[in-house]
Amino acid sequence: MKHLKSFNKKAKMLDRTTSQDEVEDVVAMQSMVGCTSVNDPGWEVDPFGGLGSLCQPMEADLYGCADACWWPAQVPDTMSTHPNWSQDVSKADEDWRKLDSVFPEE
Amino acid sequence: MMKKPMFSKLTGAIRNTALTAVIGAGALLTGCAATQPGSNQQGAESLPNGMKGDGHEYMLTVTRPNQLHVIDTETDQVLRSCDVPGTFGNGSIAISPDGRTAYVLTGMYENIYGFDITNCEITFSTHQSYDNVQVKSFISMAVSADGKELYTVQNPVRKHSDRFETMQPRLAVFDTSGGLKTQPVRTFPVDRRITKIAAMDNGEVVLGGGDLKAINPENGETRLITALQNWDRAPDKWVPPDAFAMHTMGEHVGEFIMPYFTIRWNGEPGDESKADFLWGHVRIDLKTGDVEMIETVPFEFIVFNWVTDPNDKNVVYGSFNQLSKHNFKTGETLGIHALDHTYYNINMTTDGKKVYVAGAGNTVSIHNPETLERIGYLKMPGDMSTSDLRLAVLK
Repeated sequence: MKHLKSFNKKAKMLDRTTSQDEVEDVVAMQSMVGCTSVNDPGWEVDPFGGLGSLCQPMEADLYGCADACWWPAQVPDTMSTHPNWSQDVSKADEDWRKLDSVFPEE
Repeated sequence: MMKKPMFSKLTGAIRNTALTAVIGAGALLTGCAATQPGSNQQGAESLPNGMKGDGHEYMLTVTRPNQLHVIDTETDQVLRSCDVPGTFGNGSIAISPDGRTAYVLTGMYENIYGFDITNCEITFSTHQSYDNVQVKSFISMAVSADGKELYTVQNPVRKHSDRFETMQPRLAVFDTSGGLKTQPVRTFPVDRRITKIAAMDNGEVVLGGGDLKAINPENGETRLITALQNWDRAPDKWVPPDAFAMHTMGEHVGEFIMPYFTIRWNGEPGDESKADFLWGHVRIDLKTGDVEMIETVPFEFIVFNWVTDPNDKNVVYGSFNQLSKHNFKTGETLGIHALDHTYYNINMTTDGKKVYVAGAGNTVSIHNPETLERIGYLKMPGDMSTSDLRLAVLK
């Protein structure tokens, strides 16, 4: 976090939490509750303030987010940077466990 | 994902105004796996593999890992699956007027292959990128009314050693008889943000971008069809339309159709208490060029795409988490049927007797337009993601 500047309210909350040496809590929240900083495209509300008009299930929408580079921060961008990320998983709803995170190359 | 129809090509106006307001308000390289060879009699002598001509209709889509599928609309079975070279692109499909050739966008939105859908033979290909220029086409493919030319909108980026240079987008014109590894015969500069395109009978190509325009592919002359995200559209009365514009359909009735979301300010701009939140669309008759723009359907749920009922052009069917039926003349919602998962895409047969929903996941669901009840269901070998669902009428 030394090289990143908090920009919005959520980021500032995360920043405050990490500065309080509660990193594990932040990690747990990201992994279990869902946060747009991790691979969890279903984490949001719809225009009506509910969930009914979100894509269902999230896995049905996963490649629609990746292939079109729609959410490149949340799912790997298969249009340009990570074309092989999901080549071995034809059905995200069945084999989503095989989809892994990606990391910047050195 | 909810944000697609809301934020597709729009400026922050929708994001900041509309969404908040709504929340507040409530053969070379050919691979062919003939999965279920047909045994039909009609046309079997002239067309290979049991395909029927004389106007028989096939629904086409693309799934992961990267296959073009041909669905017989009579049996609702996958008749043929053609391996598409390269990494899954976005599954865009353009079909020749004779229904025999399907052009598929693949290779990370950069390459196009043309397939003979009767035997999976690859009869056309182009790789749009060259040298250090990466060229991607977003959705935008169309075939001329005479079948002689294929159009794409190219978005080139030159990759320098120290920077990317975003270049001028252009309409690329290909000769469909160019065979394999062909290159454009003409290019003309066009606007940015163009996705859906269509070829009109008068030779012009409809460009679906921030505004709707038409370009003459012979000389590049462009004209405005209708202003959408444009100051000419009375910003004190309307929020700029927000069109998803990610899929192409309408071929069953010969039209270009683009639904969008907008807000009509009946009081002061921003006064949500007096505003109407509406679905609208632009619809262009590709034969006559007639344009219809209308906003009447209340924004009560999400629709990613909609198609026209061939038997009543005031009726449209929409898909997303529900299959819905609307009369946009009256604004009335005629029916809603819950779907088992999100379907981005929708299309119909020319007789209007079947509605197909597809895209996103890995099933194609088939419905009775009268009742919206499901009458068929196909499990596909992979996710369709952003793929098109196009109707091929085989001559």
